[in-house]
Amino acid sequence: MDLSNNKRLPLLLLLAALLGGCVSVATERMAGHIADAMLNQPDPEIVRSGAPAYLLLLDSMIAATPSDHNLLISAAQLYGAYSRGLVTKEKRRKKLAKQAMEYADRAFCPGNKAVCAARNQPYAQFSKAAARMDTGDLQALFTYAASWLGFIEANRDDWNAIANLPKVELLLQRVVDITPGFAQGRAQLYLAMLRTLLPASMGGNPEQGKQHFELAIRYSEEKDLMAKVAYAERYARLVYDQQLHDRLLHEVLAADPEHPGLTLSNVLAQQQAALMMNDEYF
Amino acid sequence: MLRFLMALLVFLGAAQPGAAVTLKIATLTPDGTSWMQSMRKGASEVSERTEGRVKLRFYPGGVMGNDKSVLRKIRIGQLHGGALSSGGLESIYPDLRLYSLPLLFHSFEEVDYVRSRMDAKLIEGLKKKGFVSYGISEGGFAYLMCTTPVETLDDLKQQKVWTPEGDEVTRETLEALGVSPIPLPLTDVLTGLQTGLINTITSSPIATIALQWHTQVKYLTDLPILYFSGTLVIHEKALRKLSDSDRKILAEVMQKTFLEISRQNRKDNNNALAALRQQGIEFLQPSGEGQERWLNQVSQAIDAMSNKGYFSRTLYNELLQYLDEYRRNNS
Repeated sequence: MDLSNNKRLPLLLLLAALLGGCVSVATERMAGHIADAMLNQPDPEIVRSGAPAYLLLLDSMIAATPSDHNLLISAAQLYGAYSRGLVTKEKRRKKLAKQAMEYADRAFCPGNKAVCAARNQPYAQFSKAAARMDTGDLQALFTYAASWLGFIEANRDDWNAIANLPKVELLLQRVVDITPGFAQGRAQLYLAMLRTLLPASMGGNPEQGKQHFELAIRYSEEKDLMAKVAYAERYARLVYDQQLHDRLLHEVLAADPEHPGLTLSNVLAQQQAALMMNDEYF
Repeated sequence: MLRFLMALLVFLGAAQPGAAVTLKIATLTPDGTSWMQSMRKGASEVSERTEGRVKLRFYPGGVMGNDKSVLRKIRIGQLHGGALSSGGLESIYPDLRLYSLPLLFHSFEEVDYVRSRMDAKLIEGLKKKGFVSYGISEGGFAYLMCTTPVETLDDLKQQKVWTPEGDEVTRETLEALGVSPIPLPLTDVLTGLQTGLINTITSSPIATIALQWHTQVKYLTDLPILYFSGTLVIHEKALRKLSDSDRKILAEVMQKTFLEISRQNRKDNNNALAALRQQGIEFLQPSGEGQERWLNQVSQAIDAMSNKGYFSRTLYNELLQYLDEYRRNNS
C-alpha cells in the first residue's frame, strides 16, 4: 500500500497526539507517585537526600510539557514542602521557595491575570481584584496562596515580603469560605498561623487563630500532627497556656505518624514536639 | 531547734549572692521575632558563662500585660524586669521622654551624635530610680501616615489623628498645633482605621507593617515626627542576689545584645520604609516654609511642657546644645 506524504501526515499526527496523551498521563501519574513516595516516607533523612533528584525530574517533566496544570501544581507543592520542612540553609531555602512560587504562578495566573497583576499593588487594589477572581480551581488558588506564604516565610528579613501577608490571608480566607475543610484542613492551619502572629496586646486576635487551629485539627480528623504542634507553638505559647501546650505535644508524641499524605510531615512534627517539650519555654 | 536551724540555713542559702537565680523578664515583643531570638541567645550565653547561676525567663507577647502592668508586677516582685518602651518607663523616670519629643531629630546622624553623649546620663537617671538598664535600643522614626494627603499644618488640622492612650506629650503637642487628637489603645488602631474613626497615625515603618496598618493608609509625610526607643531594665533589688562577677557577665552580654537589636532595628526600619513605598504608599514632602511653621509651633509646645515639669529643663537644654553643635558642624 502506497502511502503518499499527504496521506501519511494525519496518521503521524494522530500517533503523535496519542503518544503525547500517553506521555502526559504517564507523566502526571509519575509526578503523583513521586509526591506520594515523598509525603508517605517515614524517614525524613531519605527524603532530605533523595528529594533533589525528584525535584530535578519534575523540572524536566515540566520542561517537556510546560503548561501542564497538574504537574505545575505538584511541583509547586513539592518545592514548597521541601524548602519549608527539610532545608535549613537560608539562601537555599529562599531559592527553593522562589521556584515553588514560580510554578504556582504558572498554574494559577493564566486564569487569574488581574489578581496576579495586583500582587504588588496596594492592598485596596489587590482586594478588589481578588473579589472578582475565578475560584473554580480551588487547588490552584490554595497552592498559589500556600506558595506565597512559603516565599514570605523564607524571606522574613524582607519587609516588602512581610507587607504582603495580609494579601495571602485574604486568599486563604476565600479558600475556606468556599470549602472550609480544604486540603484536610491545611488552609485552616495556614490561616491559624497568620492569625496568631500578633498578641492581643498589639491588636492581634489570637482567639480567632485558635478557632482555625481547632478546625484544622477537626478537618484532618486529628491525623495532621503538624496542626497540633503549630497550635502549641503559635497559640498556647502566645497566650502562655502551658496546660494546653503540654497536652497537645503529648498527644503528638503518642500518635501513630503514618497516615496517607501526612507521614513525612507527622514525623517532622513529632521531632519538633520533642524539641519543644525540652526547651523550657514556661 | 534543728528544724529552725535548717530553715535558717535554707534562707541564708537563698539570699546569699552567687546562688542560682532566675530573672523573670516581660515584654510586648512577640516570641519568634528577631528581637526575641536575640534576647534568648543572650540569655543562653549568660546561663552558660555563669554556669547556670543566672537564668533569664522571658514572658513575651504581652502575656504579663502592657508596660504599666509589667511595672506594677516588678514593684510587687512578681517580675524582675522588662524590655519596655521608653514611653512605658516615663512614669518611673520622665526624662526618658526627651528623645521622643516631637520633631526633635531630623536624621539618624543627629540621633547618633546626641545619643552617644546622652545615653549614659539617662541610664544613670534610671539607676537612681532603682532600675538597671542594659542600653537604649532604637525603635526608629515615626512618620505621619494618612488616608488623605497631609503636606501642611492646615491639612493636618482637618484629619482625625490617633494618639496612643495615655501619651500626654503627643496629645498636648497636637493640641498646641490646633489638632484634636483621638486617643485609642494600640489594640483598636487597625479597626479605627478600617471604620474611619481615625484616618491619621504616627508610627514607625516596622510597626506599620507588623501591625498591618499599611493596608489602610495611602500617604506618608516624609518628615520624622518622633523617635522611638526602648530598653531592657532589671530592678536593682533582684540583682542583689547575684555575685559581682555574675552581674558583670549579665551586663556585658545584655548590653551587647541590646546594641545588636538596636542596629538591626535601624536596618529593619530602613528596609520597611522602602517596603511602604513599594506597597504603593505615596511619600509626600512638606514644603520648607511649612516645616518651619510646624517646628516653631511644636517648639513652643515643648517649652510649655518643660515649664510644667514634664522632663528636666537642664537635660533638655543640654540635648539642644548637642543638636545645635551637630547642625553647626554639618551645615
